[in-house]
Amino acid sequence: MASLKLEHVKKVYDKNVVAVHDFNLEIADKEFIVFVGPSGCGKSTTLRMIAGLEDISDGTLTIGDRVVNDVEPKDRDIAMVFQNYALYPHITVYENMAFSLRLRKMDNEEVHRRVCQAAEILGITQYLARKPKNLSGGQRQRVAIGRAIVREPQVFLMDEPLSNLDAKLRNQMRAEIILLRKRIDTTFIYVTHDQTEAMTLGDRIVIMKDGYIQQVGTPQEVFETPKNLFVAGFIGSPQMNFLKAKLVRGAGDYTVELYGIRVPLSAEKCAKLAAKGVGSQDVILGVRPEHTHLAFDDADNTIEGVLRVNEMMGSELHLHVDLADGTSVILRIPTLDLTEERRAGLAYGNRLRFAFPEKVVQLFDPKSEESLLF
Amino acid sequence: MAERKIPEVDIIVDEKAGVIKEVGPQRKLRSKKGHERRTNGAIYTVLTVMSIVWLVPFVFLVLQSFRSYKLEKGGMVDYLLPKTFSLDNYAFLFEGSNFFHWCGRAILVGLACAAATVALVCLAGKLFDRQDRGARPARVGILGACLAAGYALLVALTAALQGFAPAERPVAVLVCLMLFLAIGAIIARVYLKQDSKLLRSIPGYVVEDRHEGAKKLAAMFAEFALLAIILQYILIPMTKSQYLLWYTNTLTIALFTAVLQTAIVLSVSYALSRLRFRGRKLIMNAVLVLGLFPGFLTMITLYFLLKQMGLTQSGAVPGLILIYCASSGMGYYISKGFFDTIPKSLDESARIDGATRFQVFMKIIMPLAKPIVIYTILMAFMAPWGDYVFASYVAFGDQQGYNVAVGLYNWVNTNDFQNYFTRFCAGGVLVALPITALFLALQKYYVEGVTGGAVKG
Amino acid sequence: MVDLDYLKMSRPRKLLHDLAGFFARLPGRLGNGLKGLALAVGRCLKGLGLSIADLFTTFRDGDWKTRLSYLVMGSGSMARGQWGRGLLFFLFQTVFNLYMVNFGMAYLGKLNTLGVVETYKEGRKTVYGDNSFLILLYGVLTLFFIAAFIYTWRVNIRQNKVSQQILASGGKLKGTKDNLQSLVDSQFHKTLLALPTLGVFVFTILPIFFMILVAFTNFDYNHQPPAKLFTWVGFENFRTLLSSGSASYGDTFRQVLFWTLVWAFFATFLNYFLGMFVAIMINKKGIRLKKMWRTILVMTIAIPQFVSLLYVSKMFAADGLINTYLMKWHWIAQPIPFWTDPGWARFTIILINIWIGIPYLMLIATGILMNIPADLYESARIDGANALQMYGKITLPYMLFVTGPYLLTSFTGNINNFNVIFLLSQGKPMGLAGNAGHTDLLITWLYRMTVTDTNYKIAAVIGIMVFVVLAVINLVVYNLIPSVKNEEDFQ
Repeated sequence: MASLKLEHVKKVYDKNVVAVHDFNLEIADKEFIVFVGPSGCGKSTTLRMIAGLEDISDGTLTIGDRVVNDVEPKDRDIAMVFQNYALYPHITVYENMAFSLRLRKMDNEEVHRRVCQAAEILGITQYLARKPKNLSGGQRQRVAIGRAIVREPQVFLMDEPLSNLDAKLRNQMRAEIILLRKRIDTTFIYVTHDQTEAMTLGDRIVIMKDGYIQQVGTPQEVFETPKNLFVAGFIGSPQMNFLKAKLVRGAGDYTVELYGIRVPLSAEKCAKLAAKGVGSQDVILGVRPEHTHLAFDDADNTIEGVLRVNEMMGSELHLHVDLADGTSVILRIPTLDLTEERRAGLAYGNRLRFAFPEKVVQLFDPKSEESLLF
Repeated sequence: MAERKIPEVDIIVDEKAGVIKEVGPQRKLRSKKGHERRTNGAIYTVLTVMSIVWLVPFVFLVLQSFRSYKLEKGGMVDYLLPKTFSLDNYAFLFEGSNFFHWCGRAILVGLACAAATVALVCLAGKLFDRQDRGARPARVGILGACLAAGYALLVALTAALQGFAPAERPVAVLVCLMLFLAIGAIIARVYLKQDSKLLRSIPGYVVEDRHEGAKKLAAMFAEFALLAIILQYILIPMTKSQYLLWYTNTLTIALFTAVLQTAIVLSVSYALSRLRFRGRKLIMNAVLVLGLFPGFLTMITLYFLLKQMGLTQSGAVPGLILIYCASSGMGYYISKGFFDTIPKSLDESARIDGATRFQVFMKIIMPLAKPIVIYTILMAFMAPWGDYVFASYVAFGDQQGYNVAVGLYNWVNTNDFQNYFTRFCAGGVLVALPITALFLALQKYYVEGVTGGAVKG
Repeated sequence: MVDLDYLKMSRPRKLLHDLAGFFARLPGRLGNGLKGLALAVGRCLKGLGLSIADLFTTFRDGDWKTRLSYLVMGSGSMARGQWGRGLLFFLFQTVFNLYMVNFGMAYLGKLNTLGVVETYKEGRKTVYGDNSFLILLYGVLTLFFIAAFIYTWRVNIRQNKVSQQILASGGKLKGTKDNLQSLVDSQFHKTLLALPTLGVFVFTILPIFFMILVAFTNFDYNHQPPAKLFTWVGFENFRTLLSSGSASYGDTFRQVLFWTLVWAFFATFLNYFLGMFVAIMINKKGIRLKKMWRTILVMTIAIPQFVSLLYVSKMFAADGLINTYLMKWHWIAQPIPFWTDPGWARFTIILINIWIGIPYLMLIATGILMNIPADLYESARIDGANALQMYGKITLPYMLFVTGPYLLTSFTGNINNFNVIFLLSQGKPMGLAGNAGHTDLLITWLYRMTVTDTNYKIAAVIGIMVFVVLAVINLVVYNLIPSVKNEEDFQ
C-alpha cells in the first residue's frame, strides 16, 4: 500500500515521437485512479512506465517514498492485469497464480494459502487444476486478477482489463471489481477507454488526450464542470451537444443568445465570467442530451428543429434533431413523461421545440476550447 | 395448368406425358457429383504415379543393396532384381565373415533383453497415474530404476555371451544392442502415445500429451547417444570396419551439433526477438549481408584455423562440430519468427511477477517454444549426415576423420566404382533408415518449422 | 478522382499503367535508396565525430581517475572500487599489449608486401622465408584485434565518464555482484550473444575478410606458401574474370553465371508451382489417405541427399538402370547422354531437382492453404467463380503474397545450391575454359577452384561476384517491389 507521485514524467520514443508530455499527478494511498482517453492518448504508456515496462524519458516516479525510475519491474512491488490476460498457457491456473510467489521462493504452505484465498475471493476454486485455454473469457480475467492479488502488491495496475469481454460480462466484471476493491484495500490504477467504466470505478479520473492530461477530478467534477470541450464531449453518453452561441455582456450580468432565444446566466456563473474578464464574444454552448426537455406549448425561449431519427431505448427516447443551420443535436427524453398522443407526434420530418434549464449550461471559448466557467 | 414450373426446386411437370421431369438442382447435383468423381479419379492417378516415381529409387536402392558383390557384379548391371538375395554387402560393412552366424545366437539374447524391457516399461506405465499429481519425482525415480534394471540385465546377458568366440563377440553385442534399442524405441513410442491399446489396457494408465514430442525426442536422443558410445568404445576397437568408424564419427558429430547448435540458435533468436538493446538492428542487418557470401568461400581459411588447433584430418570430428556450431547463430530466422508470435505481454507479466529475463526465457518462452526447439534439434541433427564439402575438406584424405557422406561418396566416385556400388547401396540404406525414422516421427515439428519460416520470410 | 479513373480502366490498360508508373518511379526509388545510404554514411561520420569530441571533453572534465584510464584501462574503475570490472579491462589491455609486442606488430609491418624473404634450399635443408598466407591471416587478425581494442578502450572511457557523473550527483556505483546479476536480467542479451558473436567473428567474418583480400593477390598454385610468396596485384584478378573474348575466364564466368541464374529460376519457380499444385491436390476435399501421400513425398527430404542424389545420378548414368532398361526394351538404340551432353545434363538436373524440391514446397503450401479463410472461397462460390477462377483470384495471390519473402530466400538458396549439382553431375560435362563444366554453378566452380585447382585468387573473386549478384537481386527486390504496399490486403 503506497502513494504514488509522478513529476514531470515524459515519454519520448525514437524519432522524437512524444507519447506523454509533462505528466504530473499525485495518487494517494488506497486511491482508485482511472486513466481514460481515446486510443493513442498515452494512458497505457503512462501505466507501463509506472509498471517499469517502459523507460521514463524524463521526470521522476516515486512509489511510497522511493524513486523507482531505474528499478526493475520485479522490484517495484506492483501487480498488473493485462488486456489480453497474459496467462501462461503451459501451466495450470494454480501454477499461474503461484508463479510470482514461487519466484520469490515463498514457503509452499503460504503459497497454497494465498492461492486458495484469492481463488475463493474470485470464485475460481473449481478451475485451479485447469489450463488457461480451457477457461472462458470471464474466468481467464478472474485468473489474471487472482494472479495479481496473491502478490498483495503495493500498487495494483490494470490495463483495459475488461475490453476483451462481451458487453454483458463486462458489466458483471465491473461490478465485481468494485466489490474486489472493497475487499483488498490498496492503490489501484486502472486504464480504460470506456468512460462508463471510468465514471463507475474511479475515485478520481484522469482524462488524457494526445499525451496531455486534460483534467483530473472526481467523476462528478468532470461530469458537471468539464474543463474543456474535449472532456465535455468525452464524458457522458450520448455526447454533449455543442451549439454556436453569442455571449453578451450586460451591466453586471451575462446573457447567451442562440437560435433566437436568450438565456440569462445565473449570478454564480456571471461572477465566474466577470472574474475572468470575459467580454461579449462568440461561444460554444454545451448542453447534455439528458438535460433537455421537449416544449409542447410553444413556450418562449425554445429552439425549433426537425426530427430526423427517433431511437427508442426503452425507458427513454433519443431524438436526433436538425436545427435551422443544420447543426444536429440529440435529446434524451424519458418515455414516462410522454402521453401516447405526443409520442405519436415524434415522427420523421416533424417539427418540434425543445428547451433546457440555465443551470446545466456549459460555455466554451471557440478558439482555446477551454471552459469559460471552470 | 399445362405445365407448371415450381421455381424453388426447378421441377417441371409435363402433363402430356404425365410425369415429372426433374431439372435444375437435382440433375446439376448429380452431374456435379460425377464431375467430382472424375476429378478425384484424376488426382488419385496423378498421386499414385508420383508416389511410384518418388519411391522407386529408394526401392531400387534397397534391392541393389542385396546384390552380392562377390557372386554377381558389384557395379552397374542391366537387371534390377538380384539373382540371389544376399547380405554380403552388409556383412562387408561390418567386416566380419561370420556375421549371420552370430546374428542367430545374438538375436535370442536380444529378444530376452527386449522382453525384460517390455515388462519393466509396462510396470512403469502402470505406476504413471494422472490422479496422483504430486508424485512426479517418485515416478521419475521408478522409471529410472526400471531403466537401470534393464541395462543391468543387459550387461548380465552380454556377459553370458562368453559362449561366443572372442572374435565373434563384438558383432553379437552389436546385434543384441540394436535389437534392444529397436524394441526399446518401439516400446517408448507406444508407451508415449496416449491412446495405445496396449497401454490403455493397463488400469489407470494415462500420460499427459503435452510432453509427448519432447519425450519422443529425448528417448531417441538417448538411444542415439547410447549407440554412439557403444560403437565408439566397444565395437570399433574390436573390428576393423571403416564404415562403422565413419558412422560413429557422423553420429558423434550430429549429437554434439544438435545440442550446441540448438543452444546457440535459441539464444540468438530469443535475444533478437524479445530483448531490445543497442545494435540489435545492426546485428540483424550484418547477418543478412554476411549470408549473401557463399559458404565455401571461407573454406581454406577455416581449414587453416582448424589446423592451427589440431582439429583437421584425424581430429576432424571436433573440428567439424566447431565449424557447424560456430556460425550457426546466423540461422536464427525461423526460431525468431516463432518467438515473435508468442505474445509479448507474457514476458511483461512474468517480469512484473518477479522473473529475471533469464527466468522468463527458461520458464515461459522455452516451454511455449517446444515445437521450434524440436525442429531446431532435428535440423541440427540431420544436417551433418549429408555434409560432404566441409567434411571432406577438413578430413583431408585421412580416413580416420571421414563421415559417412565422404566415405560413401569416395566409394562411388573415386574408388573402384564397379566393385563398390552395391556396398554403397547397403551403406546408404543403413544411414537412411534411422534418419528417415527420426524424421518421419518428428515430421509434425518439421512442417511447423518450415511453414512458419516460409510465411515470415 | 485519379483513383476512380484508374479503377475504370480495363485490365490490360491497368497493367500498362502500372508498368509505366513502375518505371517512372524507378529512378526516384533508386535515388531514395542512394540518398538513404548517403544519409546513413553521414550519420556514421557524425557519430564518429561526436565520439571523438566526447573523448576530449571527457578528458577535460575528468578527474585524475578518469584521465588515468586513458592510459591504463580499468584503473579508474579500480580506483572507484569497481574491482571486477577494472581488472577485466586491465587484463584485456595487458593481453593486447603482449600480443602486439610479441606477435601482431611483426605481421602488421609485413602486411603491405606480404613478405619479401623467399624460401630457398641450402643443400638438403630448406630455409623458410616469409609465409605470405600467415602474414595476411595474422595481419587481418591483428587489425580485428586492434579494432576490438579501440572499442573496448572507448567503452572503458565512457564507463569512467558515467561513473564520475553518478558519483558527482551523489549516486552509488554498482558492485561486481550487481553487474553479474544484471547479466541474467537487464544485460541478458550480452550473455546470450557473446558466444555466438565470437563464433561468427572468428569463423565467418574474419575468413570472409581474409578472402576478400585474397582476391587482390596472386595467391594460386604457382604462389603457394610456404614454398613461394604471393603478393598484392590490385584488380588484376577482377580483370581476368570479367575479361572479354572467347575461351577465357571472362567467357566462362558469363556462361556459368547465365546457367546459374537459369537454374535458380527453374529450381525456384518450377518447384514452387508444382509443389503448390500437389498440395492443392492432396488437400482437396474428398481425397483420402492425405497423410500417406504426404509421407511418401516427404521421403526425399528425410533421406540424406548424398544417398538419394548419388544413387539417382548413377541411375541416370550411361550404364545406369534407366538406360539399360530402355535399351533392353528396344526403345532406344544408344544410351541417352544424361550426363555427357550439356543440354541433357542441365535438363536432367532440373528434372531431378523437382523430385527433391516438390515435397518441401508441398509442405509449405499445405500450411498456407490451411490458413486461407474458408469464407473467401464461400463468398467467391456465391459470386459464381469456378475452381480455376478461385485459384487465380484467391489461392495464387494469397500464396504469392504470403510467400513473397520466401521466394526470394529460395532463389538465393538455389544460386548457392551446391549439393544438387555436386552430387548429381559434379559440374560435368566439362569443356569450358578455367576448368569449369556446363552444369557448374558459380558455387561449384568456386569449390573446384578452391579444392582441385587451388586457384584461390580466382575463387575469391568468384565468391565476391556471387555476393554482388545476390546483393543486387536482394536490393532490387526489397526496394522496388515492397510488399509493404499490400501488407494489409489479406489481413
